[in-house]
Amino acid sequence: MLKKRLIFTLLYSAGNFMLSRNFKLQKVGNAEWLKNCYNFRNIAFSIDELILLDVTRNNRDIQLFSQALRSIVDTCFIPIAAGGGIKDEKDAELLMKSGADKLVLNTALMKNISLTKTLIRKYGSQCIIASVDYKEERQASEVFINNGTESIRHNLAEYLQYLEEQEVGEIYLNSMDRDGTGQGYPVNYLKTIVDKINIPVILAGGAGKYQHFIEALNNLKIDAVATANLFNFIGNGFPEARDKMLNNGIQLAKWDKHAGKNLEGYFLKPPNSYNQT
Amino acid sequence: MIIIINYEMGNIYSIRNALTYLGGKSSYSDDKDTILSASHIILPGVGSYRKAMGILHDKNLVAVLNEAVYEKHIPLLGICLGMQLLGLSSTEHGFTKGLGFINCAVDRFVDNPLAQTKIPHVGFNNVECNKKNPILLSGLNSSSDFYFTHSYRMEYQDDVCSGYCINGEKFTACAEHGKVFGTQFHPEKSQVNGLKLLINFLNVK
Repeated sequence: MLKKRLIFTLLYSAGNFMLSRNFKLQKVGNAEWLKNCYNFRNIAFSIDELILLDVTRNNRDIQLFSQALRSIVDTCFIPIAAGGGIKDEKDAELLMKSGADKLVLNTALMKNISLTKTLIRKYGSQCIIASVDYKEERQASEVFINNGTESIRHNLAEYLQYLEEQEVGEIYLNSMDRDGTGQGYPVNYLKTIVDKINIPVILAGGAGKYQHFIEALNNLKIDAVATANLFNFIGNGFPEARDKMLNNGIQLAKWDKHAGKNLEGYFLKPPNSYNQT
Repeated sequence: MIIIINYEMGNIYSIRNALTYLGGKSSYSDDKDTILSASHIILPGVGSYRKAMGILHDKNLVAVLNEAVYEKHIPLLGICLGMQLLGLSSTEHGFTKGLGFINCAVDRFVDNPLAQTKIPHVGFNNVECNKKNPILLSGLNSSSDFYFTHSYRMEYQDDVCSGYCINGEKFTACAEHGKVFGTQFHPEKSQVNGLKLLINFLNVK
């Protein structure tokens, strides 16, 4: 049986990693900080997938972003999705060559559907994640593009149906109202909307504690839960959240989270110095 | 030296990362002498079977891989499409003959709505060990999770299947035949389970 997923989203902006609250960004640290101070590796061995988004507001530099991607993927042995500001096939190719397994599109889904279609043809539907930023308003202007700055003339249900028709592989559904608040996902608001979607849905925006992951996975027809909050699950937050989810009957993939670090340099150590079981 | 076959089909970046993490020395090559002097060979692959076989033929790599397997007995691991290429044939984009190291054909998943077949089959799924003394799955739980992303699969055959998976039907997720190995899933994307599997492969002498 295919397993549910726990996903971490890293928000990148001009060389730094960011905290976002209702789409207002706050700088936290650079790649060096992420590796050495934040202990990102510990987190990387406790999640099923990583999403890296370039949320730079002005003058995005995809070359720099692809370097950040490369520096992160070298100790992550999970599928990695990357996106934010993909303008053409070349941008997509650069991210794929820098270690991405999937591409995240947002504004292009509305403004450049031919690019979306080209990328689906080239890499396959399963490679394309449609990122959707919305506010809980139940009206025709509740979906936003361009880093949440521009509303489109569709309500959420209509827009999701449109995306499914375009044959994107998955939907990353991100609540702008809940973003960074830690108040939990809008489970009730999304119930009837998510029920109608027939492709995998990743829920994002609002998780503050592991109970939120369990609540959403138990009550909504979704495949994955994500959080982009760098601090709500700091330290042993992710390993513990994963254990609690498994203990509560959530069907996640299993592996020995603690063995990963010991496997580094396995073939450089003297023979028999490491007992694999 | 571990040689990753370079034939422009696939995400070799992450395979190399995993090998480097484990302390294994690797490089990409399509050169005959380099490949035939490898300690281990990895055949990666994402994309079309037909196109992949075409490139392997064009680069004369079919003959090189035959020599590596049948004369030099170099351990060979095919990953994802790379595993399928080790089989007899595939029906993707028309019938195409494979390398034939593993006596199994490749075909699209049979779409069975009652069995909830997912096409493409994407995500972590459990692989059930099918052998008493498996090599690749040695030291792992008898049911271990690995990351898949594919729409075609190698048929199930008891003698070469060392680990099976179920997606509407039972298929070969992990194959072993002599020193030829294949995984339909991506060990380089399967967390600690995948790293352990790569260690098992690299320990084959």
